[in-house]
Amino acid sequence: MMQRRDFFKKLGVVAAVSAVAPVMSFAGDKPKSKNAMSYATAVNAITGGKTPKKSAKVKLKVPEIAENGAVVPVTVNVESPMTSRDYVKAIHILASKNFNARCIDVNLTPANGKAMFSTRIKLGGTQEVSALVELSNGDFLIATQSVKVTIGGCG
Amino acid sequence: MAQKRKSLIKIKPKKFKDGEVVKVSFMVMHPMATGTTKNKKTKELIPAKFINSVKFNYNGKEITNMTVWEALSTNPVFTTYMKINGKGKLTVTYTDNTGEVNEKSKKIKPKG
Repeated sequence: MMQRRDFFKKLGVVAAVSAVAPVMSFAGDKPKSKNAMSYATAVNAITGGKTPKKSAKVKLKVPEIAENGAVVPVTVNVESPMTSRDYVKAIHILASKNFNARCIDVNLTPANGKAMFSTRIKLGGTQEVSALVELSNGDFLIATQSVKVTIGGCG
Repeated sequence: MAQKRKSLIKIKPKKFKDGEVVKVSFMVMHPMATGTTKNKKTKELIPAKFINSVKFNYNGKEITNMTVWEALSTNPVFTTYMKINGKGKLTVTYTDNTGEVNEKSKKIKPKG
């Protein structure tokens, strides 16, 4: 007779295999892109080794649940006077689990008048979207939000 | 190799004064293929074709320049703000990873 303990052991193995298997086949099928870049290397490439600070000044607006991963609206708003002395130099939008974590780098100037950028991105699955903001004095600010994706859009 | 693409520059609000900060959106009809997806019928890879860079020029001065990667959606929209500084022309230049360069411009006439 099967013991209760054994039953749970077997159940665990089955669950682990079924969880790993689809991920493996998925990774094997995918052709690699030239621009593939992980989230950590992308952040490093932008900041040059500095650690970005979490800040309430950066307002990231992303839906918490995205039904369609192919079209996810993203809006980044940064509180800044946008004068020639103190302005937002760049806004980067990053997605942590896309094969290329960098989505877009926007270089702003004081002529913009307001530090805001909005676009639509593709997300391959449930992951975190972050906005990395570079100020004119060399500081980096970051805001992150996780997005649940029902249907992946990065193919 | 330049191809004709549908594109649009929208300014909100429509009527604006000199010195006002307005919202500018730029839309293009572009496939933005990542190069990793397959055609479902033929099972062949769709070659990568996405916008590389977008530049906003206003009266010959560069306002915003963007480096774009694959992860933007099909038919992308780029929205920022811009300070109106006299009569002029807003030109948006966008480049493809296949070397396609296109341009779209709009006249700017502030009132009052």
